[in-house]
Amino acid sequence: MEIIITKENKEVIASLKGRLDTPASLEIAKDIESLKGEAGGTVILDCSEMSYISSSGLRLFLSLRKAAAEKGGKVIIRNICDDVRSVFMMTGFLNLFDIQ
Amino acid sequence: MKKKDNINYSIFKRSTWAGLMLVLVAALTLEATSLIQFYFSQRELAKEATNRAETQLEVSKNKIMGVISQAEAAVRNSVWIAQWALRHQDSIPNISTRIVSDNPVIMGSTMALVPGFSKEFPLYSPYVYRNIDNSLDTTSLASAEYDYPHQEWFVKPIEIDDGYWSEPYIDTGGGEILMTTFSEPIKDRETGKTAAVLTGDISLDWLSELIGDIKIYPNATGMVLSRTGNWMVNKGNGEFKELKQLMLTGESGSTRLNINGNDSYIYYAPIERTGWSMCIAVPKDDIFGDIRKLGTWITLLQLLGLAMLIFILRSLLRNQAKYRSLNEREKVIENELHIARNIQMSMIPKTFPPFPERHDLDMAADIVPAKEIGGDLYDFFIRGEKLFFCIGDVSGKGVPAALVMAVTRSVFRSVATHEENPGKIVTNMNDSMVDVNENNMFVTFFCGVLDLTNGHLRYCNAGHNPPLTLTDAIRTLPVEANLPLGIIQGFDYVEQKTVLKYDDAIFFYTDGLSEAENKSQEQFGVMRIKEALHGRKRSEMHLKTIQAEVGKFVGDAPQSDDLTMLFIHYLGECRQSPARHSITLTNKIGEISKIEDFINGIATDVNLDKSVASKINLAIEEAVTNVVKYAYPDDTVGTIDVSAVGQPGLLTFTIADSGTPFDPTQNPEPDLQASVQERPIGGLGIHLVRTIMDSVQYEYRDGKNILTLTKNI
Repeated sequence: MEIIITKENKEVIASLKGRLDTPASLEIAKDIESLKGEAGGTVILDCSEMSYISSSGLRLFLSLRKAAAEKGGKVIIRNICDDVRSVFMMTGFLNLFDIQ
Repeated sequence: MKKKDNINYSIFKRSTWAGLMLVLVAALTLEATSLIQFYFSQRELAKEATNRAETQLEVSKNKIMGVISQAEAAVRNSVWIAQWALRHQDSIPNISTRIVSDNPVIMGSTMALVPGFSKEFPLYSPYVYRNIDNSLDTTSLASAEYDYPHQEWFVKPIEIDDGYWSEPYIDTGGGEILMTTFSEPIKDRETGKTAAVLTGDISLDWLSELIGDIKIYPNATGMVLSRTGNWMVNKGNGEFKELKQLMLTGESGSTRLNINGNDSYIYYAPIERTGWSMCIAVPKDDIFGDIRKLGTWITLLQLLGLAMLIFILRSLLRNQAKYRSLNEREKVIENELHIARNIQMSMIPKTFPPFPERHDLDMAADIVPAKEIGGDLYDFFIRGEKLFFCIGDVSGKGVPAALVMAVTRSVFRSVATHEENPGKIVTNMNDSMVDVNENNMFVTFFCGVLDLTNGHLRYCNAGHNPPLTLTDAIRTLPVEANLPLGIIQGFDYVEQKTVLKYDDAIFFYTDGLSEAENKSQEQFGVMRIKEALHGRKRSEMHLKTIQAEVGKFVGDAPQSDDLTMLFIHYLGECRQSPARHSITLTNKIGEISKIEDFINGIATDVNLDKSVASKINLAIEEAVTNVVKYAYPDDTVGTIDVSAVGQPGLLTFTIADSGTPFDPTQNPEPDLQASVQERPIGGLGIHLVRTIMDSVQYEYRDGKNILTLTKNI
């Protein structure tokens, strides 16, 4: 699992690559924690190369979303594949995120 | 029965009492209301009568006074000329003539000199009177026999020194006319002494007419009493002394008296100046007659109403008593039926898959009960690697059918526990059921024994509809019809046999399925069943498909019969052993990464779709993560065994650990509609497992948490 965080203009873009399973979620927990510092603005999670997500990954996404809600920022999720989308659907996450 | 009758009787009795009380209260209320109404109406009517009588008295009195005043005025207006005539005595007759001719009410008049006033005439009283033809005549009253100086009309006015109305008297001169005379004393201006009396007579005929005109009530009559207690007008046939006394007091008032046989109310009042008194008598019936009639009618109507009320109450109470007992009985029966249904259903194996540890058998069965309790049954059990199964349909419905069904099922169990031959099982069952079949009920029945080791199926049909076999095609299994159970003692049931190969299946059903009707009364039929069975699936999926198809076909037409299905899918004796994979992990987060390869291996083996594999991967990861995180205390090393078995249409996973006993299936479902703020961070793992897999079963066995997950593929 790889996470690359870049800043473009005022937006923070985190690109996730690989499978976000339970061990991977542990690996990137710190990166997501740091993203919460930017949650007052717009954080974009680019998932075009993320092929899998488990509930541990969903927890990270939700904690970031909650931080944004507190600070008045936005979390946008981009380019999720069908498998991940179906997991979002099963868990009601489609309603919680701005998914583009 | 006796007891029930008693209950009904007491219900009826209690209700009857309540009904009687109701009628009584209604009667009392009605009676009180009409009494009060009667009392007040009577009072009003009495008031009204008094009012009318007093008004009439006033009117009559005014009319009388009008005539009286006219006569008085006629006499009094001539007083001055009479005084003058005392000195010109030859003019005296002219005065009377003028009085009579100028005043139509005056019938006669005289000016009588006090004896001794005139030296020329010791007595002088020329009387002028009106004839019937209105002409006037004069005569002298100064005769010795008449002796006017001693007549009342002459004496009284001088005595009281004022105008005076005489007592009425009958004038015999010009016909029998009731008369009265007004006399006025005439004083000599020089001496101041009374020198003459001037009179005017009036007829009282008009009085009689006037009184006769009183029509305030149909039978009201008027009477007039003179000053001295003589009746001037008397319509009654008596003297009425008590009334006279009252009227002679000169006051107004009322009394009650019997007049001409009528109980009457009498209203009386004085007529001023004349000293007369007038009264009006009204018979009581005239005043209260209507209300009496009304009262009679009201009473009759009330009686009629009460009679109807009693009648209605009686029939109501009877119906209610009937209705209650019917209702209660129905409820009891319905409740009993419900219990019977529950008992019936509890006898039938209903946990599917029934033998999860067996990979050589895939079974499903279902009874969709009709609204009314019915008599369908199925049963199965495994004894010595043989599957004993049956399906049956008891003739008729209701409790008897349910009872026969229960008997059939227990006879099957008891016979089949020591008999392996379905022909003998059915023959034995038939014999013991004919024995106890007093109600001539029969059971169509199919019994089979499947040897799970080699697929050999022996079966015996007792009048049941033939099952369908699913091999390379769907066919009807050839069966002997034989006879249904419970008809002929000692009937020898023919046994048949066939062989099932790996992945062959048999579908049994009752006629509730083939004869399920839609609104146009078409039957579902065997052709539709065959169509619905196309393709090879897990037995549970087949049943779901058929149920959906029947549901679509039937629509909202009511289900009239039980619908029972039994699907046996043989997976033993297979040429290739089922795909088996297993992996043992330790309780470290990092170990979870191994699941991906494990699942990919299985996916390749059973040819899984990539996205299905990804989902199964997720479910297994979540289940394993749960164990890794919570099963073992921190710092201890534990193991997790994950195994998978692939069969046609089904993947079965088992996840076993020897950690703390924990049943994840008891986790509550998360609220997927909650907002960002409300949403808890965790709790999604088990939800995903449940959502992705088709069945999730937990058991704690031999010190191990064992989670069995299946996925239909």
